[in-house]
Amino acid sequence: MTETNIRKTPLSEMHEKLGAKLVNFEDWKMPVKFEGVIEEHIWTREHAGIFDISHMTEFMLEGPDCIPFLKHIMTNSIGIGDFAAQYQHMCYSNGTVVDDLYIYRESAEKVRIIANAQTLETDGKDFNWLKEHIGEYKVKITDLSLERTRFAFQGPETLKLLNPMTDKDLTQIKRFRWCYTNIIVNSEEIPIFCSRTGYSGEDDWSDSLASFEISCENKHATKLYQIFLDTGAKPIGLGARDSLRLECCYALYGNDINNEITTIEANLGWVVKEKEGVEFIGQEVLLKQKSEGSKRISVGLNLLDKGILRAGYKVLKDEMEIGFITSGTYAPTLNKTIGLALINSDYKTMGTELDILIRGKKKRAVIVKTPFYTRGKKN
Amino acid sequence: MEFPTDLKYLATHEWVKIEGDIATVGISDHAQDQLGEIVFVELPDTGVLEKGAVAANVESSKAVGEVVMPVSGEVTAVNENLEDEPETVNSSPYGNGWIFKVKMSNPSEADGLLDAAAYQATL
Repeated sequence: MTETNIRKTPLSEMHEKLGAKLVNFEDWKMPVKFEGVIEEHIWTREHAGIFDISHMTEFMLEGPDCIPFLKHIMTNSIGIGDFAAQYQHMCYSNGTVVDDLYIYRESAEKVRIIANAQTLETDGKDFNWLKEHIGEYKVKITDLSLERTRFAFQGPETLKLLNPMTDKDLTQIKRFRWCYTNIIVNSEEIPIFCSRTGYSGEDDWSDSLASFEISCENKHATKLYQIFLDTGAKPIGLGARDSLRLECCYALYGNDINNEITTIEANLGWVVKEKEGVEFIGQEVLLKQKSEGSKRISVGLNLLDKGILRAGYKVLKDEMEIGFITSGTYAPTLNKTIGLALINSDYKTMGTELDILIRGKKKRAVIVKTPFYTRGKKN
Repeated sequence: MEFPTDLKYLATHEWVKIEGDIATVGISDHAQDQLGEIVFVELPDTGVLEKGAVAANVESSKAVGEVVMPVSGEVTAVNENLEDEPETVNSSPYGNGWIFKVKMSNPSEADGLLDAAAYQATL
């Protein structure tokens, strides 16, 4: 990979000016931190932060068969109304995961999708998967990823900072709902897609603490970023994005879910719903695992000894290898080392002590309740 | 960013302070900056290690940095304060953020280390 191949988002140059440390993430030049991962993490939990999530992908489905098509290709119910959002998995027939994503229904004939970033090598993976499965369904799919810029505006002060600038009252947007609105600053109007969703765990359903994910046309990107920063919200890098999401046990594609881990194994059974009259891809395996249990299951761990859990470390019970770490971090809100591990389900009981092999040494960990963090509560 | 001239360096970003046959080892300002906030320092066990062996690990939230033995010898002291305050490596990489001390078995090995200017040239 040469440096020149790495893709930039419309905000990359501004990140640089803001003093970000930029790294290659999925072949995108992304800010991993601005002031510091821990500081940004805590800032987001206590105030509000702006994340560049333009590396993610955005598609629009249009046509009379949008809903039947989505019911066929997605694992969750699709049973949502207009201007609602729903977390989804797209799975292979063996139940392992193509990608996790959100759908945003505008009408029965128009649904937006925001999914994960792809590397140059896997570029087009989701788009092609969707396209290949359209078959007889009357659905047209458009890739908006490179035309639009995506932000996450997260943290308890988000609503207070964002709402005065929008021509819609965002206090009326319930959790997992979205709207089109305009950001109006200095008599300029910037149209945005604005969804009350997020990956930070800073939205607890109380309408005073809403956090949002936003997309706009690229031509407004830098202006909008500056407007957001001028509110006093701070730019937050991918480092804090990862520790924020892991405290809440939100799955990370490529780590906690991938093409070798099923939705049920990832302990996300709630994303799998039987749908009347439609068989979805992966249904047979996923419904069986959901009712009977899977041989492997994702569990949350606290490391009892000192150290940091990292993906790939082996998990042992009485010298026997029973699984591996899929994600790990130091959790700033909890001041603990936390991680998710995919282990043999026989050992999943809360309170079970396990050993983690870190650079050849065994460190003690214990299975704990997940999520590690829920707004207002520290487990 | 500072690179004190009374210290020696390795291209792998360790610094070494030689006092008699004792070498004190830490990581450079550049290394701590690259790693970001240090959340854990795995200190070496005391004992004899060869030059180039991994003696300690410095972990930030996103990465692990290895700290190798700049010279052969016996690890005689470790900075236990880092167990509770690993961030000292960030705030004082050349001072309170030192990681371990080695009693050199072959002090001439220190001659091969980089001076501050040579180290900076590698960055």
